[in-house]
Amino acid sequence: MKYSKLFLALITGAMLLPNAHAEVDVDALIKQAERAAYYAGNDGRADARMMIVDNQDRKQMRQFTILRKDVEDNGDQKMMVFFSRPTDVKDTVFRVEKHADTDVDDDRWLYLPALDLVKRISAGDKRTSFVGSHFFYEDVSGRAVSQDNFTLQEETAERYILKAVPKQPDTVEFAHYVVEIDKATSLPVVINFFKSDGTNYRRVESVQIETVQGFPTVLRSKVSDLTNGGYTLMEFRGTEYNIDLPEDVFSERSLRTPPMQWLK
Amino acid sequence: MPKPLKTLIASTLMVAGITGQSAVWAQENTDTQTADEWADWGDLEEPAEASPLTLVGFAELAVGTRLHNDAAIGQNATLQDARVQLQADYALSASTLSFRGDLYYDGVVNSVETQIRELAWQGNLGVLGEWGRKFDAKLGQQVLTWGTGDYVFLNDMFPKDYQSFFAGRDDEYLKAPSLSAKLSGYFDVANIDVVVTPQFEPDNGITGEYFSFFSPQAQMNVAPGFRVLDKNEPDSAEWAVRIYKTLGQTELAFYGYRGFNKTPMAADEQGLPRYSRLNVWGASAVKPMGPGLAKAEYAYHDAIEDSDGNNPLVPNSQHRFLVGYEQELVANLTGSVQWYMEKTVDHDALLANSYWPQYEQEANRHVVTTQLMYRALRQTLTLNWFNFYSPTDSDGYMKFRATYSPVDDWQVNGGFNLFYGNEPHTFYSQFEDASNVYASFRYFY
Repeated sequence: MKYSKLFLALITGAMLLPNAHAEVDVDALIKQAERAAYYAGNDGRADARMMIVDNQDRKQMRQFTILRKDVEDNGDQKMMVFFSRPTDVKDTVFRVEKHADTDVDDDRWLYLPALDLVKRISAGDKRTSFVGSHFFYEDVSGRAVSQDNFTLQEETAERYILKAVPKQPDTVEFAHYVVEIDKATSLPVVINFFKSDGTNYRRVESVQIETVQGFPTVLRSKVSDLTNGGYTLMEFRGTEYNIDLPEDVFSERSLRTPPMQWLK
Repeated sequence: MPKPLKTLIASTLMVAGITGQSAVWAQENTDTQTADEWADWGDLEEPAEASPLTLVGFAELAVGTRLHNDAAIGQNATLQDARVQLQADYALSASTLSFRGDLYYDGVVNSVETQIRELAWQGNLGVLGEWGRKFDAKLGQQVLTWGTGDYVFLNDMFPKDYQSFFAGRDDEYLKAPSLSAKLSGYFDVANIDVVVTPQFEPDNGITGEYFSFFSPQAQMNVAPGFRVLDKNEPDSAEWAVRIYKTLGQTELAFYGYRGFNKTPMAADEQGLPRYSRLNVWGASAVKPMGPGLAKAEYAYHDAIEDSDGNNPLVPNSQHRFLVGYEQELVANLTGSVQWYMEKTVDHDALLANSYWPQYEQEANRHVVTTQLMYRALRQTLTLNWFNFYSPTDSDGYMKFRATYSPVDDWQVNGGFNLFYGNEPHTFYSQFEDASNVYASFRYFY
């Protein structure tokens, strides 16, 4: 009796499992995760602060306000980042026009207030530090899901666990990453990056998720350098969505004359 | 002219020399800290507490010394600053008042100096009615920049401080402030900036105070530390206009300037330095090309007082051309090249009338600049190498600067300025004895 129950369980399990996997449309899943993580609402704002801790426990802080407007979901986006701390980057502004087409580089500008200089920045490796933190530029702007091949590794009660292999491995520092997507919110909650020898050297985690205006939102996230021991914490406050940011906020005008009403 | 963190994008990937042990250590470390690691944000303000007034700044010590003696100057120090900068901003409801001022002891000339770099009101003109919403204004003492060149200026006729640039002060000080009114208008057809500087503001050039220069009269370097006489410095206004528009990914701009030569290259009847009338008009374009950015700029410097080029006391008109390309070569290493040319108009007339034709600039003076910028250690270390080389003058100027700032509080800089060339009179070569090394320490408060 005992054995037959187990046997039955095995049989049904074996029958159900492949079925369960087949039912998960991986493509739709990652697109939905991308939308949840980077495209909530049509536009939005947030006050961000970062604490960068190096492996000697030395701290650096960053404080900035982000304005974002989607051209279309899972598509192009416009972003402005207004820095207020630390002193040497105060009033520096970073402007991005993100292009979802991976063949077109993002347009990026930097405003340096001490020189009154608007500097257009040439396309750069997106997997290099964002403002000196352990976050990469790509962690903040979003890595296009079309750049990786995803396979479902495991499904738990709460999460989908997917393995992503880059289509162009020579353009990134990882061999693959494993992303865990929370079923309830569709948000990626843990991403572990691996080298080709299997070493897990980097982790990005969503530490605190809350629902803001109906959109599940990562309010606290952390990236850890598992090799050297440093990490960066990022916290968002004052998050608002669908605030009807005017198109012209995302322009050179706002670099020199910040749109104050949206920054408070 | 990018700066360390201010360039925002980059840093080395951590080399994975990985052991399982260090990963485990990181994990444990994280676990023990999780409880309180989110608690200590230092003095980062809560948004609700944000005060309309912000006060920040830095204190800096900087020293620099010549690599060779300069017989004309007889002092080896090129930089001895003890400086405090205060930046105060006050946010009004829809505009800001800003102040940025320096107080410093300059050991090279043994005096205490002040410089108001900014004291201005900036805001939208919507208060004047609906049409005003399309205009922003910035009124007062301010630093202004436009154009596409890196350390090369064709249409940017705003004041510069070459003494600071040569001495190794921060790039910020290459741009000198002026008391100006700037009106910016934003329209679908194009955007426009109009800048009026009611009283002419010249460059802080090489006068012999810190660095000597070649005198054709003396046929050697001199260091008179001259000041331009009041009667030779215009009182009238300067006007600068820029009209710009982005078409697709290409940024186009057109420029105009009505004013004066920013350096006293003209002379009065007594041979004393004087600023001559100058109009400039030009255009520029910047667009992504291949994996990088390409740019081109042109300017015509119209010598109003010497339209035929035969007055030896007034510099001739010039066409100025710039073509440049910048690209990230590998992660965190950006390279750029620029080709710049000054074509002197009526060069034959210039030579025919010149008192010192053997020292006049070539009809076509070419300069090639190359730059490598490397950011390492999560952008806490920036290495910036920049070289000007003129194939027509066989001379050049190499700059190098390293900046290290592993924390928010302080920054240490070191670098050199190296001038080289074959002939004593050419543009960069004349400053050979100005070659220097420097170091500075900056503490932010």
